Amino acid sequence: MELKKEKLPEALALLQSDARLFLPAEADGLPQFTVWDGKQAPCLSGNPPLPPKDVLFPRSEKMYGYNLSTGDVADLASPEKQVIFGIRPCDVKSIEKLDRAFLEKGYADSYYRTRREQLTTLSLGCTEAARTCFCESMGLDPADAPGADLMLNDAGDAFSVKSNSEKGEAVLARWGKLLTEDADKDAKGAGKDVSVHCAFKVDLPADLPERLTARFEDPAWAALSRACLGCGCCSYICPTCYCFDIGQENRGAEGTAFRCWDSCMFSDYSRMAGGHNPRPSKRERLRNRYLHKLAYFNERYGTTLCVGCGRCVDKCPAHLDITKVIETVGGER
Amino acid sequence: MSDQQEKMRQGAEKLLQNEEVGYVIGWGTTRFADRTTPIFIDTPAAASDFVWNEYAVNSLAKYLLDDKYPDKKIGVFVRGCESRALNRMLKDKQVKRENLYLIGTPCDGKKAGRCSLCRERNPLLYDVLLWEPVPNVPAEGRFDRVRAIEAMTPDERYGYWGAVYDKCIRCYACRNACPVCSCRECYVDMSRTGFQGKQHSRSDNQIFGVTRAFHVGDRCIECGECERVCPMDLPIMGQTQKILKDINELAGEYECGLDAESENFLGAFDLDDKDEFM
Amino acid sequence: MAKKSTAVHPAAAENVTAENVPAAAQAAPAGVRHGCTCEGNPLLPQICRVIRITQETPDVKTFRIQTPDGGKPFDPMPGQLAMISVMGAGEAMFSITAKGDDWLESSIKRVGALTDALHGLAEGDLIGLRGPYGNHFPVDAIKGKDILFVGGGIGLAPVRSLIRYALEHRTDYGQLDVLYGSRSYADLVFKADIFENWPGKCNTHITIDNAEDAWDGHVGFVPSYLEEKAFSPEGKVVVLCGPPIMIKFCLDSLMKMGFSKENVITTLEMRMKCGIGKCGRCNIGSKYVCLDGPVFSMSELDELPDEK
Repeated sequence: MELKKEKLPEALALLQSDARLFLPAEADGLPQFTVWDGKQAPCLSGNPPLPPKDVLFPRSEKMYGYNLSTGDVADLASPEKQVIFGIRPCDVKSIEKLDRAFLEKGYADSYYRTRREQLTTLSLGCTEAARTCFCESMGLDPADAPGADLMLNDAGDAFSVKSNSEKGEAVLARWGKLLTEDADKDAKGAGKDVSVHCAFKVDLPADLPERLTARFEDPAWAALSRACLGCGCCSYICPTCYCFDIGQENRGAEGTAFRCWDSCMFSDYSRMAGGHNPRPSKRERLRNRYLHKLAYFNERYGTTLCVGCGRCVDKCPAHLDITKVIETVGGER
Repeated sequence: MSDQQEKMRQGAEKLLQNEEVGYVIGWGTTRFADRTTPIFIDTPAAASDFVWNEYAVNSLAKYLLDDKYPDKKIGVFVRGCESRALNRMLKDKQVKRENLYLIGTPCDGKKAGRCSLCRERNPLLYDVLLWEPVPNVPAEGRFDRVRAIEAMTPDERYGYWGAVYDKCIRCYACRNACPVCSCRECYVDMSRTGFQGKQHSRSDNQIFGVTRAFHVGDRCIECGECERVCPMDLPIMGQTQKILKDINELAGEYECGLDAESENFLGAFDLDDKDEFM
Repeated sequence: MAKKSTAVHPAAAENVTAENVPAAAQAAPAGVRHGCTCEGNPLLPQICRVIRITQETPDVKTFRIQTPDGGKPFDPMPGQLAMISVMGAGEAMFSITAKGDDWLESSIKRVGALTDALHGLAEGDLIGLRGPYGNHFPVDAIKGKDILFVGGGIGLAPVRSLIRYALEHRTDYGQLDVLYGSRSYADLVFKADIFENWPGKCNTHITIDNAEDAWDGHVGFVPSYLEEKAFSPEGKVVVLCGPPIMIKFCLDSLMKMGFSKENVITTLEMRMKCGIGKCGRCNIGSKYVCLDGPVFSMSELDELPDEK
């Protein structure tokens, strides 16, 4: 199936009619996943500096309200239908990884689960790789996101459209007569442009988690951390980082609890009451962050916590580079 | 430039050979030709890793705070901006001059937005100057951006900063990169106190922005690191510059970090202060 | 794709497998790990009432907690954790030191902002409570064995839950010894237990670090007292809890005495926010202390990175 590009605004309007629609667009001079205002032109090239992680795992969200005089507690989880259009395959993959973290291993996080069940993802395959993109090294296909509900790929004056799920089918049904049969079915297949490749690569040894864990005391960690400024930039722009903090605020007898993003790079992150900090300097904090991504998550969930989107490589103020960490600590010895 | 790079490598190599310094802080390569990263070299052989090109944008001064009590002197390449930062850090007693070996590297400007406003390209203090000073270029429009914001109506101005801080993700890169932001423990990290709400909201973000601006405003050397490191490209040096502009208008010409003796404006006490309550 | 999560109650969530429950807790059925009334949201607290506050030492108070309608908030196993909040001041994780028919107890040392707020509470005040979290002492796996409880300072708090359990199930276990020490007499917690309730039911060995006028008991540090007592490792498990430095020296002593690390069990503490293995804070390597712990054997800890 195809969706002619001229039909896109109409198709988006249909999505928006019963759900909050996020898409990458220029807002306040910055490309970002934003709630569509009905007029904005979506950015169809590149990927915004912030991933759409916020849609499932908001920077701040209210968890529950409570009343100290009555003792009542009210869950404030909000089941709202949401759609993301234009999410790239790397960011789709990141949602699959967040699913593992939030929904598995004993407990399902109900705030995440509520949003996740109500989310439909319409992925747009990449037609070009930014110079910091290394998703192929992480085992992804820049032009295909099997985890998306609907996969769109550029096919000249149209997008080829492929559904991967019931939610995707529902979108196709809703778009109905906006869709046309592929003009050139055989030549294009699923409309995949197989010519997209990442120039930026890293060799990922099969035993990387074991190597990194075995090199926990390696002096390379201290060396790598020296240029680090200890800010939370990498964690906050990372589509797979999911650490959070929980807090409460009282207003008279009533109050709300909230949770918000946090970063394991911050000094107070693991500092305990009384002052002891098991990760007292940026060496331990940087090591923990990369080991979480490249070893601990694998041990727990059998997959790395990195999708190769390259945002951290692009934005790190000190120009640290996760591929260099992989090569330096995880390389052949 | 390559000639200068060679001088830097040789200079660092000699210092390490003679064991005058424990290590030297400079710039090294990354996987991208147009990016460098701070490197810390402690053997003479590795001194050839240093690079000097238009992409040597990171300020090196801040890293001196990571090692306040070194066994040996720390060697560091110093441009005009690093030297102004160091003057401020010396005055604030954050580093000790005798712990530092300053290798002066006059600078023609790098590929960083701030360099167009640079008024001091040559290091103001150094132990050795690797090459001849370069002529300073008159920087036009130091406070143009501040004036444009001042010209807004209050509502417009609130809208402007509101939009800026809606985008802020509070990664604190601006704080961590700022060479004059030197508290051992930042008020932000004192989670017990509740000074800084941890929620991400316009108001909590703005509290951070305003507090940061006032904590460093009168010590700001306008190196622009805060803006360079911001992943959201927010124009936050406009805030510290507003404070600098006000000081300039209230008290005459004022620049930070030109020497290691001057008090910061808001930290100085004077019986002749205009405000009698001071 | 919509990875459909069918879990209605977290206790019934997918993937509670033997693999993510540490060896020490595997004796317990998975369902026991979460018995709260959270209705599908494991992060939601219930409002409870503090019905009794006991001043144990100058800086430790024990809080007895009950639901507003007079019931037990939930039924924890020995060693499990509870997230306690003073609404507005925040939440922190504490071990549950005892349970009764209609109450739970937690003993809390005043060390920070939240514990300040807790110490400021009066009987009758409301708090938030969620849990129980984490694994528990391997009560089934150690059946039939002697248990040597070694505690220092506030470290007796998590151990107390197991001592009480063992006394309640007295015939399931062999000889019980409690060796406990603190800096001074005033700093000994649970004085009613260690001097009145427990002697006669189990052997108690109490020591303080420095001699005091009114103290006629043993004087000396816990590790040396341990060696003096020369406990036989035969058929014995050790439950060890206290400040890190005490644990280190006690472990050295126990190794000298012939104990194996498999038979020395301890509990860890780390900063925690969620309690359900999501928020990231309390990891040691790939383990989360809130979920995979807090109870670990010393041999399990040897497998983890040195970051405690």
